[in-house]
Amino acid sequence: MAIHLLQLTVLIYLVATGSFFLYLFVGKDSYSRISPFILLIGLIIHSTALAVIFFHAGFPALTQFREALSFKAWVMVGTYILVQFKYRLTVLGCFIAPLAFLMCLSALTLGAGDAEIPPALKTYWLPLHVTLAFLGNAVFALAFGVSVVYLFQEYELKNKKRTILHKRFSSLETLDRLNYIFLIWGFPLMTFGIITGSLWAGVYWGDYWSWEPRQISSAITWFLYGALLHGRITGGWRGKKAALWTIVGFAVVLSYFLLGDFVFTGRHAGRFE
Amino acid sequence: MKKTVTIVGLSHHTAPVELREQVAFDHSALRESLKRLISLPSVEEGVLLSTCNRVEVLTVSPTEKSVLQDIKGFLAAQESVEDPERMESQLYTYSNEDAVRHLFRVAASLDSMVVGEPQILGQLKAYYVAAQEVGTVGNILHRLFHRSFSVAKRVRSETGIAIRPVSVSSVAVDLAKRIFDKLDGKTVMVIGAGRIGELVVRHLIQNGIRSVMITNRTFERAVQLAGEFHASPIRFEDYQRYLKLAEVVIGSTDSPQFLLGADMVAEVLKERKQKAMFFIDLGVPRNFDPAINEIDNAYLYHIDDLDEVSKMNLKGRNTETVKADEIIAEEVTSFFLWLDSLDHVPTIVALKQRFEDIRQQELIKSLNTTLKDLSDRERQALEDMTSAMMNKILHSPLVRIRTRPEEEAIYLDTLRKLFDVDDKDEDEEN
Repeated sequence: MAIHLLQLTVLIYLVATGSFFLYLFVGKDSYSRISPFILLIGLIIHSTALAVIFFHAGFPALTQFREALSFKAWVMVGTYILVQFKYRLTVLGCFIAPLAFLMCLSALTLGAGDAEIPPALKTYWLPLHVTLAFLGNAVFALAFGVSVVYLFQEYELKNKKRTILHKRFSSLETLDRLNYIFLIWGFPLMTFGIITGSLWAGVYWGDYWSWEPRQISSAITWFLYGALLHGRITGGWRGKKAALWTIVGFAVVLSYFLLGDFVFTGRHAGRFE
Repeated sequence: MKKTVTIVGLSHHTAPVELREQVAFDHSALRESLKRLISLPSVEEGVLLSTCNRVEVLTVSPTEKSVLQDIKGFLAAQESVEDPERMESQLYTYSNEDAVRHLFRVAASLDSMVVGEPQILGQLKAYYVAAQEVGTVGNILHRLFHRSFSVAKRVRSETGIAIRPVSVSSVAVDLAKRIFDKLDGKTVMVIGAGRIGELVVRHLIQNGIRSVMITNRTFERAVQLAGEFHASPIRFEDYQRYLKLAEVVIGSTDSPQFLLGADMVAEVLKERKQKAMFFIDLGVPRNFDPAINEIDNAYLYHIDDLDEVSKMNLKGRNTETVKADEIIAEEVTSFFLWLDSLDHVPTIVALKQRFEDIRQQELIKSLNTTLKDLSDRERQALEDMTSAMMNKILHSPLVRIRTRPEEEAIYLDTLRKLFDVDDKDEDEEN
């Protein structure tokens, strides 16, 4: 049952992606209303699937890479839907929908079935830590989206060019303000994600910090975003600089999430010694 | 012989503002200046034009020879001119077709700082009326100015030139909206009191901007404009200090140097904590250093850039000046057809004279021989009859010539040949 719901979710995310791209390139107003709606339907089905898995296993399924991917996509889409409600940034959906589609598709292709949950992970530290970390990532994914749009808009304005896309882009001021809003939401979430992870490790394994690759990459990202936040608050780090910084930060997050667990070892890669 | 139309002057294209100010004709002394102009031996008709962007002397003279020297001397004699040689080197001169074309282009606002901006037409009319009152306008300048007014009207109605300033300012507003979220709560600073600057400010206000600062070299003008927009006037010495308060900065002066350099803008942005600024440069030459656009969070658009964008908005608009110049070329030709038609006066006078000579000869011959017995009353009747005959014979060809100016040259040529009219230099009456 859950697997069929996940398959349906992938399909609907694909339809939503198509609809967002139509909005971006064809630019009909109706697409800007219908696309987030399709994505919302996908989110509801996705939620149902996750709930079914949860009740079946009796525990949040987050231990395997595919489960994490699926959950991460769910958090991201949910965050986007909330943001869309408040700020009407349909153009961001053009990043989120395809990303969610790809993540859920990879999750599906990575196999199904119930894996045994290692006893060390059968603790509510897991969903707490993972949810906070993933929420932080999701918000940074949105920040990444607005930053890319910012750079497009900025490039067009500086070079006095216009493409067919520019009407779908918000003003630089709006994009920059959202970058800031996402940063002040994302940074504490990420911080709490790191703190809960560290406490969990301290409680279970006795070391709060074990210098495993995931921790190092998180620390790097944390310092990047921290520096940006500091720069923004004390003044001067705006616009293009902030956008570039955000993009670099998210690139670290994304590349680690996609590659890190395969290349490196450690608890995050499922090795619990 | 054909008269010469001459224009001597300088404009924002050729001379810096200080020089234009030196040559400019003081409004209160305009009558005297016109009288001085008309007293020049080579000048038969004259109009003076003196705006902040141009000073021009338009004349009609019987000969092309000395008029240029006379007018240059006339301009150099302006009390305020400091260096007559330097001034002379910056003057442009146009004669005949070129002069007429130039006046038409000026009237149609093709030569203006902001092409399509209609202010110049009103100024042209005012200076024409002033010259008419002093009595320095004859029938050629009368005709020329009235033609130039209707050329301006044609260009406005038949081309898109007139829409240009409006579309330029709506493009500026669109750009501001791509940079800033909402224009409410934003501040605009206007440097200079150019008309196009006013227009852009009006558009910005319509789109929500409430706070406007206006500065101008002449503070009174800034105060006056500020009144219109409920804006704050700022002294020209002080505007740089207020720059950091503005999100939108409009330059609309004809200053020969940059008003704002890149270093200064970088400094202001630092003070503003890098909050974006939008610079709109409506000046010719440029008021703002183009390097400003290289600075992060500063966006600089020159009026030419705005024009490019508005051309993209309305495809095909770029042919509008070409279209306007075609209209003008047409009108120049038709003006010279008219001017040439004045040449029929000497031809007709000569032709009438030739007929009269024949009549007189034949009358004398007959009255002295076969008709020598006629009474005085009969002689008078004969005189009247032959005279009426001549007039009747000449009547329809002359009317035809006058009503068909386009074929007139051919007619006149034919008449001369058929009736063996000598083409002597004759004094014209106009």
